[in-house]
Amino acid sequence: MADQPTAAERFIQGILPENPVYRQLLGLCPTLAVTNGLKAAITMSAAVLFVLFCANVIVSLIRNLLKPHLRIVIFTLTIATFVTFADRFLAAYVYQMSKVLGPYIPLIIVNCLIICRCEVCASKQGVVTAGADAIGQSLGFCLALCSIAAVRELLGTGMLFDIRVLPVVWPDWVIMVLPPGAFLTFGLLLGLVNWYSDRRAAAAGGK
Amino acid sequence: MISYLIDIFLIGIGAALINNFVLYYFVGICPFVGVSRKISTAFGMGCAVIFVIAIAAVISWAITTYVLMPGALLSRTVAGLFVPPETAAGIDLTILSYIVYIFAISSSVQFVEMYVRKFFPPLYKALGVYLPLITTNCAILFACLVIMSKITGVDNPADAWDLGRALTLAVGGGIGFTIAIVIMAGIREELDLCDVPKPFKGVAISLIVAGILSLGFMGFTGVDSGLRKAMMPKPEVVAQVQPEAEAGK
Amino acid sequence: MKPIQQMEPLSPTAFERLRNNNIIQAWLVLILTLCFGSSLAGIQMTLGPKIEENKLNETLEKIPELILGAEGAQKLTESGEKLDVIPRSFVVDKPGKKAVYNVYEAFDKDKKRLGWVVKTGGQGYADRIELLLGVDPEVKTVSGIFVLEQKETPGLGNKITFEEWRGQFKGKNTETPMGVVKGGKAGAGDINAITGATISSRAVTDIVNMAVADLKGPLTANAEGGK
Repeated sequence: MADQPTAAERFIQGILPENPVYRQLLGLCPTLAVTNGLKAAITMSAAVLFVLFCANVIVSLIRNLLKPHLRIVIFTLTIATFVTFADRFLAAYVYQMSKVLGPYIPLIIVNCLIICRCEVCASKQGVVTAGADAIGQSLGFCLALCSIAAVRELLGTGMLFDIRVLPVVWPDWVIMVLPPGAFLTFGLLLGLVNWYSDRRAAAAGGK
Repeated sequence: MISYLIDIFLIGIGAALINNFVLYYFVGICPFVGVSRKISTAFGMGCAVIFVIAIAAVISWAITTYVLMPGALLSRTVAGLFVPPETAAGIDLTILSYIVYIFAISSSVQFVEMYVRKFFPPLYKALGVYLPLITTNCAILFACLVIMSKITGVDNPADAWDLGRALTLAVGGGIGFTIAIVIMAGIREELDLCDVPKPFKGVAISLIVAGILSLGFMGFTGVDSGLRKAMMPKPEVVAQVQPEAEAGK
Repeated sequence: MKPIQQMEPLSPTAFERLRNNNIIQAWLVLILTLCFGSSLAGIQMTLGPKIEENKLNETLEKIPELILGAEGAQKLTESGEKLDVIPRSFVVDKPGKKAVYNVYEAFDKDKKRLGWVVKTGGQGYADRIELLLGVDPEVKTVSGIFVLEQKETPGLGNKITFEEWRGQFKGKNTETPMGVVKGGKAGAGDINAITGATISSRAVTDIVNMAVADLKGPLTANAEGGK
C-alpha cells in the first residue's frame, strides 16, 4: 500500500497520461452520443464531474466500513442517487440542455468510468486523493469530449458554441453531426493519439 | 386491432434497424468494442442481452405503470391507507426511477443467472460468462428509460405504452444490438488479416468500421413512415371524413 | 463479482450468528438508503415545482406568437400585458380509438377569445414530430405553427423548425386540407416542400391537417356555446 499514488499524481494522471476516454476507453457511450455540439459536451462533462466527485468522496469516507460482497451495491446506490440529483438540477436550471441530453444523463449510472474510479481509487485511498482523482479524471473526460465535439461541430455546422466560425460558403458536412460522424471522428482521433504517443515513446526510448 | 399490430411491428422494426441501439443511439458500445472479436462470442453476448433486456423491460414497465408514475395504482392505494385520497392521488415517485431501474436490472441479472444455472446447464455454459457483464450494459438501462418516457412523458394517459409495446421495443432493441455486434465481429475477423496502420490497430479501426456501418444503417431512416403509409391507408381517410360530418351538423 | 464465501464461524454463538445475519451485515446499505432517500425527497420538494413550471412554460411562452404573430407578440410584451390562457382537453372519437388533444384557449384582457393553440404530433421522417398549432377562434385560418420536438436530418429535414418554412402556414384557410407542392410553386392553399425533405414537409402538413379536421367540430361548437 506504500506506493499508492498521491493526490497530485492522481490529478495529473487523470488528465492526459491515463485519460479515461483515449487511454482507458471508458465511458464511450456519452463520448459518442453527446458530442455533436460543444455545449452539450461541456454540460455532460459537468454532470460527470459532479457525480464522480460526490461518489468518490462518499465511497472514500466509508471505505473502512465496506463489506466486500456489498461493495458494488453501495457504489451503484451512491452513483444512482447523485445521477438523479444531477438530472433534476439540469431539468430545473437548464431545461433546454437537459432535453438535448435526454437519456444520456441517467446513463451515467452505467458509465464504467465512475464505478471503475470508485473501485480503483476511492475505495482504497483518503478523501483528498479521491477528490483529486475525481477532478482529474473528469477534466480528462471533458478534454476528450470537447476535442471530439469541437471537430464535429466545426465541420458539421461551421460553428463553435453555436457561433459561426467558418465563412458562410463552408458546405456543412452534415454527416459529422449525425451518428456516423461520431464513430469516424472518434476513431480517427484515437488513431492520432495512439500515433503521437507511440512517437513520443519511441523518441524517449531512443535517447 | 390491425392498427395495434402494425404499431407493434413498426416499433420492433424501428428499434432493431432504423434507430439501432448501437449504431444510432450509441448504447452498448463497451461490449460492442470489447466482445466483438469472434462471431460466436458476439452471438452469445447478443442472445444474453435479448434475454435480459426482455425481462428488464417487463419489470420496468410494471414498476413504472403501477408504482412510479404520478397517480399509479399501487402507490396510490398504499398511500391511501395513511393519507387522504386526494393527497394520495398526487403521489409522484418518478424521482426514484433511476435507482429502481438499476437495481431491477442487476437483481434480474442475478436471478436469471441462478435460474439458468440450475435448470438449463447447457444454456448456462453458453451464456454464463456474459451474464454478469450485462449489468453495466447501457442498452438495458436505455430500454428501461425509453419505456419510462413513453409512459410518463405522454400528454394524455391513453397514449401510454402497454406491455406489448414495451416488450417489443426491448426485444427489437436487443435484436438490433445482436445484428450490429455480429456484423461487427464478422468484419473484425477479416480485419485481423489486413494490414492496418499500427496506431489504428484494435479499437480505432473498429470505430471507423462502425462509422461506415452506421452510415449504412442510416439508409433505413424513413422506412417506418413509408411502411405505415403502405399498410394502413384506410383509417386515415375515415378519420378525416368523420369530423367534417360532425362539423356539418 | 462472485460473492466471497463467508468463513465458517469457529464458535456459532448467538452473537456470532447475529453478526452474520444478512440484515445486520447490510446496515450500511440501509443507512445509506435512508440518507439518500431523504435527500432525494428534499430535492423533489425544492426542484419539482420548478421542473413542472419549465415544462409548462415551454408551451405557454409560445402562445402569444402563435396567436398574434411575431409582431403582435412583441407589442404585447412591450405593453406589458399578458394573454389569459386556459388549458383544456378535448376527446375526439375516431374509429378504433379516442384521440385526446391538449388545447390552450387564449383570451385578451377584455375576455375576448383570440384563438386556440393545439398541442399535437405525429410520425415524421426520422422520429415523432411534436408541434404547436395556433388557429383563430372560429378555426377558419391557421395563425401559426411551432415545432417543439423533432429529430429530422440536420441541414435538410430540420428546416421545418425555421421561420421561413413554418411561416407559410400562417393565414392558411382550413376549409380544405393543405397539400404539399415541390419546386416552390405552391398555390394559395398549399405548402412549398423543403428541397430534399419532402417527407418531413408532408409529415408536418399531415399533422396540421389531421388536427384541424379532428378539432374543427368540437372547437367551433365550444366557441358558440361559450358565447
